[in-house]
Amino acid sequence: MDVIDQLHAVRSGKLSRRAFNRSLMALGIGLTAVPLGARRALAAPEDHPTFFTWGGFDIPELFVEYQAKHGEMPNFSTFGGSEEALVKLRSGFVADVSHPCLSGVPRWVETGLFQPIDTSRLSNWPNVMPELYNADFNQTEGKFWLVPFDWGQTSITYRTDLFDLQGEESWAMLSDQRHAGRLGMLSSGGDAWWCGAIMAGVPLSEIATEDAFTRISDFMRAQRPLIRIYTDDTTSLEQALASGELVAAMTWNSSAVTLRAQDVPVAFAQPKEGALTWVCGVMLHKDAPHLDRAYDVIDSLISVPSGIFNIGTYGYGHSNMKAFDNFDEATLRGLGLSKNPIEILQAGHFMTPQSADWEARMNSTWEKIKAGF
Amino acid sequence: MTPFDSDLRPAPAGRPSLAVGLRNRVHRSEALRGYLLLSPALAVLGVAIIAPLILLIVMSTWSMSGFDMLMTPGLGNYAIIASDPIYAALLGRSLKIAAIATAATVLLSYPVAYFVAFHVHRHKMLWLILLTLPFWTSYLMRIFAWRVVLGYEGVINSALMSLGLIEAPMQVFLYSQTAVTIALAHAWAAFAILPIYVSLEKIDKSYLEAAADLGDNAARRFWRITLPLSLPGVVAAFFLMFIPTVGDYVTAAMLGGPDGMMVGNLIQAQFGPINDWPMGAALALVMTLAVAVAGLAFLLLTRMIRR
Repeated sequence: MDVIDQLHAVRSGKLSRRAFNRSLMALGIGLTAVPLGARRALAAPEDHPTFFTWGGFDIPELFVEYQAKHGEMPNFSTFGGSEEALVKLRSGFVADVSHPCLSGVPRWVETGLFQPIDTSRLSNWPNVMPELYNADFNQTEGKFWLVPFDWGQTSITYRTDLFDLQGEESWAMLSDQRHAGRLGMLSSGGDAWWCGAIMAGVPLSEIATEDAFTRISDFMRAQRPLIRIYTDDTTSLEQALASGELVAAMTWNSSAVTLRAQDVPVAFAQPKEGALTWVCGVMLHKDAPHLDRAYDVIDSLISVPSGIFNIGTYGYGHSNMKAFDNFDEATLRGLGLSKNPIEILQAGHFMTPQSADWEARMNSTWEKIKAGF
Repeated sequence: MTPFDSDLRPAPAGRPSLAVGLRNRVHRSEALRGYLLLSPALAVLGVAIIAPLILLIVMSTWSMSGFDMLMTPGLGNYAIIASDPIYAALLGRSLKIAAIATAATVLLSYPVAYFVAFHVHRHKMLWLILLTLPFWTSYLMRIFAWRVVLGYEGVINSALMSLGLIEAPMQVFLYSQTAVTIALAHAWAAFAILPIYVSLEKIDKSYLEAAADLGDNAARRFWRITLPLSLPGVVAAFFLMFIPTVGDYVTAAMLGGPDGMMVGNLIQAQFGPINDWPMGAALALVMTLAVAVAGLAFLLLTRMIRR
């Protein structure tokens, strides 16, 4: 069938009914066949495990090893806060591999939704820093509940050109009256409440006391009128910092690195009171439908290429010691990291596991404070 | 069996078969036929609305202890809602935002619907389709569009700055209750225009001619004929928009900022980070009741106006 010929036939009004029907049929078959081809090319997503993770870790760069082995990416589902993730898992969502943080492990284990990880099945395990997983609550019979993947800090990203810094960098920057209405905060209690404790001068070991609740609440209430947004969406915070709508905001390492890469003059503060240090990792669902491949997902996350990406592009620490060898000391310092990562970890304030009742009380108090009560 | 049926085909020797008996009963009983017609909708209603509602009512009497729900019934959640001022305040704010957004939308939509009903004579369908254009994009996209318009480096701020009216961008537009109200009013406009249009379209034009013949001017014709006859549409528009917007939480989460939080956000937090589902259920029920009361009040108000 010649296209030009048909067009000519249409123009001269001589397209026969038969020719018209034939073209229609060809078009119909073609359209029906299009999705068939695509479906085969993408293979069945149900063959791959699901990785339930924070927004931003659902990218091919962290799955180089996995892709080399299986040709494709695992499936992803993302969340903005680990509490939200736990609620979703508890209500029946099955993800082979999830991405909580170390301090949440006892409560996550308590739900009975996870199985300990057999680290002998992970080729990269020998290079993982023991400081990141050696906690009593993280092991059972020689196996570990959580395999550490990333670690980093919650601190302040501020505009060096717009924020009038007097003296040392400190958490007081987020309650600076002169910049009222141009400060931003992370919304999830997992970060904000703990940083609130540092700001209010409460030692993290005493965070569960009645006195701590009063002091942190009072501090956060007083701070609220100065805050323009509370959000878990780091992109919103980054955009607001880039436009100058915000001059300082509580963020993780990656926001500062992302903004600097866009030539926005920002710094990631090393507050004199100390930043909040966190360690996150992956846990395995007890009914993981793709157990073998789930182990490959975990192995890929703790591999050196993933570490290089995590450190170089996001500015987060990684659990694989060898990944740090690819960076010189100056670059690492600039990211708030170090060749000897243990140093940084020991200098920081660590989040410690709390009871479910504490978490519930903290979250409901924090939601009320954000709403203005 | 009716005599009519037995005329048609010979009666079976023994008792009528079950199928025939059933068919006859269906034919005879009007109520049964009605229920049969309703059954698909009733089934959906039962499974998707009534059962969850009962579950919600039951759950709202439970309480939480750590990860476990204690299933001993009690009114503790309601007592907390009654005593803690945050709940009444957020509920009041939600009702206020929804009421203002609804009133603004209905007021703005009425002239549009009026124009299409009375002054557009050709391509009416095209006009109606154009009016639903905002619905062709996802709701989240529309909210983000408002963020672009109202934002710090947004359309309004850029325009004001290039006109030289302000020197630095103004922060008042985004992250406020006003932003939430504007976005809601825009997003739900079609829900107001269409019912009002339908009720205006139905008005018999000969009433207006008669009124004109009897000496009423245009304004009086509108007040005495058009408006009262289109009130059902206005009431429908009010309910269609007010009820869903009270419980809205996406708009408030994206545009509201700390002071624009609505009760929907609090309910979401109860089911999310706070992890207190019984409290969330109680709050959702209280919100539903509040909406029902507000709706009834509005209905009574329109009744009084009509008299």
